Amino acid sequence: MKKLITAVAGIGFLVGVASADVASDQKAFIGYFKSIQPNVEFADYTNGVYAYDAGSRDQFEEILDGIPPYEESVEKGGAEYLKFGLNKCAALADPAAARLKHPYFDDATNKVVTLEGVIKACYKQQTGKKLGSNKGKIARISSWISDQAAGEKVNVKVEGAAAQAAYDQGKAFFYGKRGQFNMSCADCHVYNAGKKARADILSPALGHTTHVPMYRAKWAGLGTLQRRYGGCLKNMRAKPIGSQTETMNNLEYFHQAMSNGLEITDARYRK
Amino acid sequence: MKKVLIIALSVFALTAQADFLGGSHNWNNGSSDPFKSALKAAETGYKANLAVNMAWRDTAKMIKEAKKLNAAGKTAAAVALANKAHHQTVNATAQTALAGSAGPRF
Repeated sequence: MKKLITAVAGIGFLVGVASADVASDQKAFIGYFKSIQPNVEFADYTNGVYAYDAGSRDQFEEILDGIPPYEESVEKGGAEYLKFGLNKCAALADPAAARLKHPYFDDATNKVVTLEGVIKACYKQQTGKKLGSNKGKIARISSWISDQAAGEKVNVKVEGAAAQAAYDQGKAFFYGKRGQFNMSCADCHVYNAGKKARADILSPALGHTTHVPMYRAKWAGLGTLQRRYGGCLKNMRAKPIGSQTETMNNLEYFHQAMSNGLEITDARYRK
Repeated sequence: MKKVLIIALSVFALTAQADFLGGSHNWNNGSSDPFKSALKAAETGYKANLAVNMAWRDTAKMIKEAKKLNAAGKTAAAVALANKAHHQTVNATAQTALAGSAGPRF
């Protein structure tokens, strides 16, 4: 009995330590953004780069006041969710809950499970066909699912040693330099957030995941978060890594956890 | 006189050996063909970078282009490009060593 209590207490301690690490990481993360942009409120980071630049914010709001270019696609995603029977999969039966639950660390498979990963698996199960990972159908369906959770807050949990290891790998990827330009994700989206890279303002990593999948004017369509990772890696002159691979899922796990407490939004337009 | 003879013979022996090896010895990484050797180094490095998700975007293109140049008989340019690709893989390997433990600067 004594051994059991010690074991349970030990596990509880480890879980506590793991969660505390995420919380302390996020505290430092938010603190850094506060130091570079003291006038921007935490909650406003849900609007990403539009929290930083008034001119861009005006354009963004104008687009939202009209008919956002992604609206039709998101509606189509809702129809596809039903058409392909995704509501029959337990993991997606409640779309709002599905958005809030993912990404999470699955102890059974010892891997991070993303929303798009579940959509792909469910689609395969229902139709017998494969679904892409970056754009088109998956981005439409994922956007519609995410819309159902608009107004709720990102709440990624990192509990247990294995989950912590996946989170740490994602964190190391985020801060690690790679590619011919010897840059990290953080070089643009943390240390230089709000500054200009050519004509664009670099968006803060804090809040990046509140509006995914996003509609990008450059893409003229919707794309998943991991599609964007691929684009960023190319820009850094690193070889892009396949979407929904363990490396990219761990990165997403860390990246989403840094936005814990921010509202999920259906305003998914980005330049 | 004996010493002078020994020195002269030693110098002769070393010179002859150097002349002999100059034409045939493989100074270049196990291959007598400088392109093959440069290509092998680049491909091996690239494979290792790919395995740890740290490959650079253009290395594979450079290797492919180097092969084309070599096939077209432009050996010097092919070797130079293959060496450049190899250099990229060396830098990517250096990044790999640091990336695993990277963290914030704040």
